[in-house]
Amino acid sequence: MTTFEHCVRCTLCVENCPVFKVNPAFPGPKQAGPDAQRFRLDGERSVDDWVKLCCQCQRCEVACPYGVNVSEIILKAQLKYSREHMSPFTAHLFANTYHLGKLGALAAPITNAVTSSGAARKVMGVLGLATNLPMPEYRFLTLNRGRRRKGKRRSSRKVVFFHGCYLGFNRPDIGRGIRDLLAGLGCRVAIPRQTCCGLPALGNSDLEIAKKFARKNARMLVEYIDRGYQVVYACTSCGLTLVHDYPEVLELPEGRKIAENTYNVHEVILDLLENDGCSVEFGEVDRTIAYHIPCHLKALGIGYPAAGIFEKVPGLKITVLDDHCCGLAGSYGFKKKNQQTAEKLGTIAASAIKALEPDALISDCGACRMQLGHYTGLPALDPSEVIIASLEKGASKKSRGKRRIP
Amino acid sequence: MSAYGYDAVVIGGGVSGIMASLTLASRGFKTALVSRGDPVCCLSTGCIDVFSHSDEPLGGIRALLPDHPYSLVGEKGIVDSLSFFLEIMGEAGLPYEGDPGRNRKILTPIGSTKNTCLVPRTMAHADMPPGEYLHVISFQGIKDFFPSYITSRHRNSTYSVYDAGVPTTLGIAARFDDASFLDAFITWLRGLEIPLDRVALPAVLGTIDPDSVMEKISRAIGRKVFEIPTLPPSVPGLRLFRALKRVMQNRGIHLYWGKGVTSVECQGRTVEAVTLATTGRAKRVQGRAFVLATGSFVSGGLFAGRDSVRETVFDLPVAAPGERKDWFNTDFFSGAHGIERAGVRVDRDFRPVGAKIDNLFACGSILAECEIMSLQCGHGLAVATGVAAAKSCAQELS
Ligand SMILES: Cc1cc2nc3c(=O)[nH]c(=O)nc-3n(C[C@H](O)[C@H](O)[C@H](O)COP(=O)(O)OP(=O)(O)OC[C@H]3O[C@@H](n4cnc5c(N)ncnc54)[C@H](O)[C@@H]3O)c2cc1C
Ligand code: SF4
Ligand code: SF4
Ligand code: SF4
Repeated sequence: MTTFEHCVRCTLCVENCPVFKVNPAFPGPKQAGPDAQRFRLDGERSVDDWVKLCCQCQRCEVACPYGVNVSEIILKAQLKYSREHMSPFTAHLFANTYHLGKLGALAAPITNAVTSSGAARKVMGVLGLATNLPMPEYRFLTLNRGRRRKGKRRSSRKVVFFHGCYLGFNRPDIGRGIRDLLAGLGCRVAIPRQTCCGLPALGNSDLEIAKKFARKNARMLVEYIDRGYQVVYACTSCGLTLVHDYPEVLELPEGRKIAENTYNVHEVILDLLENDGCSVEFGEVDRTIAYHIPCHLKALGIGYPAAGIFEKVPGLKITVLDDHCCGLAGSYGFKKKNQQTAEKLGTIAASAIKALEPDALISDCGACRMQLGHYTGLPALDPSEVIIASLEKGASKKSRGKRRIP
Repeated sequence: MSAYGYDAVVIGGGVSGIMASLTLASRGFKTALVSRGDPVCCLSTGCIDVFSHSDEPLGGIRALLPDHPYSLVGEKGIVDSLSFFLEIMGEAGLPYEGDPGRNRKILTPIGSTKNTCLVPRTMAHADMPPGEYLHVISFQGIKDFFPSYITSRHRNSTYSVYDAGVPTTLGIAARFDDASFLDAFITWLRGLEIPLDRVALPAVLGTIDPDSVMEKISRAIGRKVFEIPTLPPSVPGLRLFRALKRVMQNRGIHLYWGKGVTSVECQGRTVEAVTLATTGRAKRVQGRAFVLATGSFVSGGLFAGRDSVRETVFDLPVAAPGERKDWFNTDFFSGAHGIERAGVRVDRDFRPVGAKIDNLFACGSILAECEIMSLQCGHGLAVATGVAAAKSCAQELS
């Protein structure tokens, strides 16, 4: 176990911190993490309010060659700070995106109209919300209301799909696409009832709500794991919460087991294609696309599995970009105090994308897609949308005798 | 879940590992690069020291003992690998220049000069003919950059200070990426009416396209402009690393950036797979051949215990100079520390000597006898041995 004491002060983490680069009020991961940790004695009230400026992208931790848990140290300092200071109303609001989402979805047409109206934007301003970004839209037909099982009942590959809030409430169409894709490749797919992974609550320093959500999910996931299922996620921030925060930050007893049995959906697909001899035909997709790697995919340390699938798609020109945080970081960028940081980072990431003159961008993270779609004006896609488009084309070209993607 | 399979798996994402991956990929091999964190390259000046101990790198190298890794590569190999590096940097949009026959001198933040071989274009004008005039630009509140040190060593020099609104090199560099900031800076600079020959700044001219930033400034004031590398965090070091990474990604090399290799699986004398510690669980990566480029003590490729030095991934035999008392010289700056020669000894094919493994090659600062600090041959040795080890690896694969 490496701790703050293993820091050799090389500053590699600092070179990778997006917030440090654009906000002089944030002293950077080395100081906010291992350096300040020496002074955070238990029992002493925190005074380092700038610790809240960290957006928890975890780029610092990925960069550290000495394995110092930089962003985890900072997250825990954020939690401590909030315990000792009242957190503002917006934090509670975002800690509860799940309930917000449930409500939003039930009243989808109304929610969407309200959040985009001028009066609502004024209220948002008063609440400390940034008003420069479009708020996410809610769908009435959430994933919870779709089909909960799909694929061959006796398949040897059983997966339980953790879709999270964004695919659940805002883009259930993508969620259903992934469900059908996995089933089409021969998996038995289950989509049980689930709640928010807990990340927004953690990000807003509400440990209690985070734990409440996490315990519920953990109980459900372990039941499936015990029945031979693998957990798959598509949203990389949900994924990182399951494999990192459940055992390490929320310290759930089931955390280890979940971490060891949880996979990125594209890891599973790649494995089916490479090792399970799944024969499908990829049709041509004649597009030039920038693939923005979400910080949390980077932090997972599993490489970029979707890029491995894109290589199989004829005609597709993909450029991988993994040096920039989009700046939204979940609910971070929606807060007024972070608005400038989010704006600057969004502009930097967008200009790296636009320099490639692509016709669309891809990201595994719904938040990235929202933010970068906004700043580039390009269509922002989930990796699965391109994979499905290619497979549909391949299947329609000559499908006899081959497995079809429904 | 089964593992993903590659022709070659390179362990360690420093300059040597990156150059090895690029060499393998350019020969059509499916290549993965796994690394635990960022390499020391990001902390470096961004300049490629080939052999800065003498004014003539190739001349200096010729005089080395036969067991120095450079001698194993040979002069032609070294020259070819450096041209390959220049080609890669051209492709990356961060062109470098220089001549392995002769070093050039670049200015340092304390006003001294330093020998180096290949430099990014933003430092091309750093080697000043004697007698030319220099104006140094510094920034309000910047750390570890001392214009008065420079002007006190240079008779014909002056300096001014600009307020960029942020004091850190990374913060200032991010501002230079923004066209309106650059315009405001240029307006200020023109107002100074610098009558002198050259203008030098700390290396903060943007993170994305420093060449264009430099050219724009240079054209606006009609003077030659160059950057002075700063202490870490180092913008030109970061640029170099990111540029190399970009080319790797464009060439289809798969990167696994995480917590690194924690264990290896061997079948007889063959390594079959390595296990990476990804967040929360382990991941296997299979390969037909492996290149070890985990660096020396700073990066954790080598580990010094009380009395012995270990290689941390394969537990390869390590050549270490005698007992602990022989590792260090009492004069720190003497450069002649025995521990600098510790490392993995390799044969002409860059296979570790005494390893009971056939499909493994090693390169970079993990190698024995390289004496990087005293010979000042860091990145150059990484480039040359990275390419050489990869060539042998390619031979093994085909
Ligand atoms: C502060 C500093 C400044 C320098 N400045 C210059 C300069 O200006 N010019 C110059 O020419 N040279 C310079 N050098 C020397 C030069 O940087 C190095 O000699 C050279 O880059 C070494 O490259 P490498 O590939 O051998 O190893 P490294 O760059 O050390 O890379 C090794 C990589 O392997 C990774 N790794 C380690 N263990 C594992 C594992 N178990 N699994 C996976 N990955 C692992 C590490 O995290 C690291 O990323 C400098 C060195 C230092 C320390
Ligand atoms: S990268 Fe790691 S060792 Fe280096 S300063 Fe940051 S925390 Fe410390
Ligand atoms: S988690 Fe991200 S924002 Fe926070 S300190 Fe680390 S790099 Fe910076
Ligand atoms: S929103 Fe996307 S880019 Fe931004 S921090 Fe989260 S994962 Fe990273």
